[in-house]
Amino acid sequence: MNFQTVRHHFIKFYGWARSTGGITVILTAVLAILASIDKGVFILTNTFVTGGMWALVAIGITLIFGVMNISNFAHGEYFMVGSLAAYAIITPLNAHLQHHPNPWLLTVAPLIAIAGATLVGAVFGLITERLIFNQLRKRGKGNWLLNCFLVTIGISVILSNAYLLLFGASFRGILYYWDLPPILIFGVPVSVDRLFTFCLALFTLLGFWVFMKFTRTGQAIRACSQDERGARMVGISVNVVNIVVFCLGCAFAALAGASLLFMFPAYPTVGLMPLYNSWFILILVGLGNIEGTIPGGFIIAFLQVATRIYLGEGWENIIPMFIICLILVFKPYGIFAYSVRSVWEK
Amino acid sequence: MENIASNRLGLRRLLNLASMTPLGFLGLVLLGLFPILPYLNQGYLIRWFIWAAIVAAASMAFDFSGGYISIVNFGFSAFIGVGAYSSALIALRLGISPWLSMFLGILPAALLGFLVGAVSLRLRGMFAICFTWFVGLAFFGLAMKLVPLTRGPLGLRAPYLFKTSSNLPYFYVAFGMLVVTYIVLKWILRSHLGLAFQAIGQNVEAAMTSGIYPAWYRIINFTVSCGFAGWLGGFYAHYYGILTPDLMHTSKTVEILVIAYVGGRKSLWGGVLVAFPFVYAMEMVRSSLANLPGLNLIIYGLFLILIMIYYPGGLAESYQVYLGQSRNPLVRWLINK
Repeated sequence: MNFQTVRHHFIKFYGWARSTGGITVILTAVLAILASIDKGVFILTNTFVTGGMWALVAIGITLIFGVMNISNFAHGEYFMVGSLAAYAIITPLNAHLQHHPNPWLLTVAPLIAIAGATLVGAVFGLITERLIFNQLRKRGKGNWLLNCFLVTIGISVILSNAYLLLFGASFRGILYYWDLPPILIFGVPVSVDRLFTFCLALFTLLGFWVFMKFTRTGQAIRACSQDERGARMVGISVNVVNIVVFCLGCAFAALAGASLLFMFPAYPTVGLMPLYNSWFILILVGLGNIEGTIPGGFIIAFLQVATRIYLGEGWENIIPMFIICLILVFKPYGIFAYSVRSVWEK
Repeated sequence: MENIASNRLGLRRLLNLASMTPLGFLGLVLLGLFPILPYLNQGYLIRWFIWAAIVAAASMAFDFSGGYISIVNFGFSAFIGVGAYSSALIALRLGISPWLSMFLGILPAALLGFLVGAVSLRLRGMFAICFTWFVGLAFFGLAMKLVPLTRGPLGLRAPYLFKTSSNLPYFYVAFGMLVVTYIVLKWILRSHLGLAFQAIGQNVEAAMTSGIYPAWYRIINFTVSCGFAGWLGGFYAHYYGILTPDLMHTSKTVEILVIAYVGGRKSLWGGVLVAFPFVYAMEMVRSSLANLPGLNLIIYGLFLILIMIYYPGGLAESYQVYLGQSRNPLVRWLINK
């Protein structure tokens, strides 16, 4: 690497660091390090565990919006479906393991639960798409965005109250997926579940990137999000793409719900927090910006972890909310200067 | 040509001044008679009617911005809550009669509406929805956490409007507020302001081209809409006598929003017509099927989805289609055609 390349990279980095996005990211990183020196490294680990999953939930919403122009306010409910499904799978498995110890199954059981929950989320997404949005697309006239917004509110009300009706208002959670001693990372104990959740989020994001970049379906999805009519002209079945996208988005939410079951037990309104968070992220990074949701997820997660530690329980929604309101006022298209204005403003 | 008989009575003129059709007036009279009719004059029914009147008036104020300038205020219940809390706190701390503090509660809510309207000028569509939603959530959180002021989830006790335990006077106050809300909002909408609102709601760029400065009208719209929300909140506080942050939760906004949209956008009265049967049916389901919690809200959500898919115009559209084109002279007289 010669001097020219270093200089070139430095100038590029310097330009990025001076943009709003760069300043925010660097500031958050510095603050996160300072906070973890002050209070302990668990701030960082908590941020990483939840941030990855919030990014995953937010990617689902972004994807559904980008392709189908649906602003999904029911996304938290798919998170809830995921956590409930994971609970429903892991509890009988654990009960079975109590009587018939089997080390192999003990290791794999959480994976089965998470995979099953993801599948359940995808099926729920499929049902919703076929039963509601397909009908709306056929019949709907006029204001598609606003109608979809109202319909998703209806879905959210129905799903969360169906949970209440069918299973009651009790918390259904587990303490851990793997009953193993925590692993030491730089002398800090990190529980296996958290480490696994973080890795799972990273792998899923990576897999999603590969899927979008290199498979034909991914290309079709990107084409649809750029121009639906154009995609139709070159022979892409927009109907199939819509189904895939909605299932994928819901599956991501369910995956997050399932893998965070040990932190967020399933109950009727468990989906609200992920929903708020993912909308924070979307506003922060700009609507429709898929790559941006990953740093956005970590920024929001850090903001919440830090406010909870420093100001106490309950403030973690208030302070970020005011910050997001400020961002909306001064940078309505997100800190990364991403704009898809035309669609969102209808 | 105006009907001579009614002209002599001045009824038509009076009703026109109040922006009502004879049909609407008849409906209002019927509504006012509800709680003194036999079988309907029971305490719990009147309580439901009072809640329905509050929701109906709130849905009108919501429709005033959601329907006319197409900015959905998704934090609407937070504005109601701000009015309720300030009215209760003013009455408690300063010892003012709740009748006066109810009106003073308008000020903070309207001021907040003014600020939100002024700050969110650049935002449209989903951005505006998200912004008002976040503001609403933030105030919900503040009501939860500012325990020294609001007593948080424990609930703030507010003085009652009347000394009696009867619900009837409250019903007539709520009913009067409903009518006043309708007349004032309709009066604003009939002026040149209303035209400007509709122009902005349909197409901002076209409105600007024809010389309308959207910022000004949007701020007015938000201030008025939120001011009414605050007023209704004040009544809520002094009727129920206890305030919890639940009033500001998004689910309350959804309740109002469903009523407003099922009633029909840009109609104002649609929400009133829907609110009473809806609230009645919901409470009926909830009280008769108490062992099935959440069922009433499932019906609620289902209703919203079905209306949005199959009949997005709501009740106001069916009125236009079935009554508005009627040839029957009596019907035409009743609806002022």
